[in-house]
Amino acid sequence: MSTAVSALSIKKSPLSVFLQKNLSGWMMLLPSVILFSFFMWVPLFESIQLSLYKAQGMRFVQFVGLQNYFDVFAHPDFMPAIVNTFMYTFWSLIIGFLVPVITAILINEVRKGKSLFKIGIYLPNIVPGMAMILMWSFIFKPGDTGILNILLKFMGIPSQAWLTNPEWTIPLIVLTLTWKGAGATALLYIAGLQGIDPELYEAAIIDGAGIWRRIRHITLPNIYNLARTMFVLQIIAVFQILYEPLVLTNGGPNNASISIMQLVFRYAFQQFDYPKAAAVSVIISLILAVLTALSFKLNKVQDM
Amino acid sequence: MKRTIAVLCMGLALAGFVFAGGSKDAAKDGKVTVKLGIYPEDTLAGDIALHAGYIKEMAAAYPNVTIQPAQYRYATDTFVSLAESGQLPTIFESWFTEPQKLIAGGFVKDITAEVKAAGLDKKMSPAILSLLSKDGKIYGLPRDGYALGLMMNVDLFKKAGLVDKDGVPLYPKTWDELAKTAQIIKAKTGAAGLCLLAKDNAGGWHYTNIAWGFGATFVTQKGGKWVAQLNSAESKAALQYIKDLKWKYDVLTADPTNEDWGTGFRAIGTGAAAMYIGAGDAVSQPTQTNGLPVTSLAMAPVPAGPKGQFSLSGGTPYMFANNATNEEVKAAIEYLGIMGRLPVVTDKTIAGLNADAANRKNEGIPVIPPFPAWTDAAYLKAQLDANEAHKNIDMKLYKDYFSKISEKGNLRSEEPMNAQDLYAELTKCLQAVVTDKNADVTALLDKAQKNFQTILDTTANKK
Repeated sequence: MSTAVSALSIKKSPLSVFLQKNLSGWMMLLPSVILFSFFMWVPLFESIQLSLYKAQGMRFVQFVGLQNYFDVFAHPDFMPAIVNTFMYTFWSLIIGFLVPVITAILINEVRKGKSLFKIGIYLPNIVPGMAMILMWSFIFKPGDTGILNILLKFMGIPSQAWLTNPEWTIPLIVLTLTWKGAGATALLYIAGLQGIDPELYEAAIIDGAGIWRRIRHITLPNIYNLARTMFVLQIIAVFQILYEPLVLTNGGPNNASISIMQLVFRYAFQQFDYPKAAAVSVIISLILAVLTALSFKLNKVQDM
Repeated sequence: MKRTIAVLCMGLALAGFVFAGGSKDAAKDGKVTVKLGIYPEDTLAGDIALHAGYIKEMAAAYPNVTIQPAQYRYATDTFVSLAESGQLPTIFESWFTEPQKLIAGGFVKDITAEVKAAGLDKKMSPAILSLLSKDGKIYGLPRDGYALGLMMNVDLFKKAGLVDKDGVPLYPKTWDELAKTAQIIKAKTGAAGLCLLAKDNAGGWHYTNIAWGFGATFVTQKGGKWVAQLNSAESKAALQYIKDLKWKYDVLTADPTNEDWGTGFRAIGTGAAAMYIGAGDAVSQPTQTNGLPVTSLAMAPVPAGPKGQFSLSGGTPYMFANNATNEEVKAAIEYLGIMGRLPVVTDKTIAGLNADAANRKNEGIPVIPPFPAWTDAAYLKAQLDANEAHKNIDMKLYKDYFSKISEKGNLRSEEPMNAQDLYAELTKCLQAVVTDKNADVTALLDKAQKNFQTILDTTANKK
């Protein structure tokens, strides 16, 4: 019986072999392919197309080439927004990148109540974004009624301007991001740490390695690949920062915290100028693609 | 083979789920449905009862018309999606800043024929007509107009001893006086003297009115080109004044960069600030919305600067969805008539005006005369009569505001070109001077001048 079947399939054309082999797989994939094209790829290509047109609402009116890009570059808020966005990314790497790594290592070393700490660091992450922002806006409120200023008063320190001090705005916003996001990332690192073979540590201890040398020579190399991925993901995520500055400062004071995504928001939802919004979005994707490629390239050099 | 078919069916079924949904409209047969975007929000029981009455009357007068509540509060982040997907209500309210943008985007319907047929174009105040028209076509009707004034929390003025024997606030007539009044209030009550906006474009919008008093004009046309003049000496004097409010007099709320249109009314309504620039069409905001007793609100003219006194004026328009049919627009306009919003005096409009005034009285909103968006004398009289019948405040609290804005040359429309971009630039300057004690007013305005001229050159001067 089985020989008969295989003899039959040999006679079939390559197409039907392909179909028989792969059809079920493709059929299972079909819904997600449709969803992906509908929600990701078509909008992606349409916004590239839109950025080259003049439009009424979302209806194309006239092909204008790169004019929208030139107009966007000429806008007085464009350069501050680009610079700020890099500053957000920079500060998020300074403030936020090591926090989850350190937290993860600490929690991994804890002997009792590990789950308690894991839940504890994850809790900020389940606070809805908007609630988190409003909470921080009460904390950072300048004047005598802000929570931080009330605390400072107890210690005899004068009130601070917090977010309304242009020098502090971006680092403080990054601080709120880190507070919310670090827990989730730390959980990934903890998972990575637990995948490390305990025998490595045992061997190192027998060889007389202290805690620092164990971290330096076992822990860090083992989570290096994970950290590299998280690094790129963090750049991509922070580069698209929008609602935190939008709600906390509306990009102010005097453009000190405006982000590039906020320009997209203003073009699209305040001026109804969708082609320019699309142009800025394309610029963002290009910058991100370059940054990602660059970071992989640098890491590859290191690997060798 | 069986397996392949089974898998095929499964895949198709899954794909089917993705595309499931979607509906079709029932066929129409001479019936007209008006989706009423101006229907009140769910929480406003009084207003809903009011509309239930209007709808009943509409049904009696026009049996073929169905009124369908479709409450929509205009918001820039939801509007285009609704418009592009054909989901806009037939009639909706927008803001004074929006009509030209909505017309340019092709989102709203040309209602010239319907307006002219009803003879409404001749009764509209010309400034408002031009706000709602483009290339001779009319796209909207005014709900009412507004003129900015100085809103005051009477309780705080009383506490500071700044009222006359009738309990009317001794309001500041000039910006210098305002700084001093604000200082007294802050010293005696602890509340901020003035709530200044610096969070978003509303900051620049209020600020233009202040700067006009100092003699500034921000946009002019020279030889067919639009020219910005943000860094004139007058403009600098105005910005320096704002800086002084913060650092010399220290009379502002704790964080102006977090104050917007709504929080300003909250500050007045809850007694966090004594004065705020607000318009007569927004008296429901401190009272009904934020709980200020109806007798504790007063309005005065915007204070004068060294170079004069002006009140910025505009209007709130009704606009119509682009995909509405002529019949639907006509029916929606009839509905406005029943609400008493059209300049026609019939028993129905008088009833509508009275119901509206009675509702305001019930809801604890000061019943004050509206700002005239229409010029029809009989209609204006009917409006005043309805208000008089449901009076709930002492008009002395508003007397000077109304007499000032009816003076010739007092009202001033917004700057004529790229007003929102202008406000954005000015708001940045405001943010800088209220957050930085050492902010350089000249440098800030020079930069704003350069930025705004660039915007004018890449938009208005390009066409």
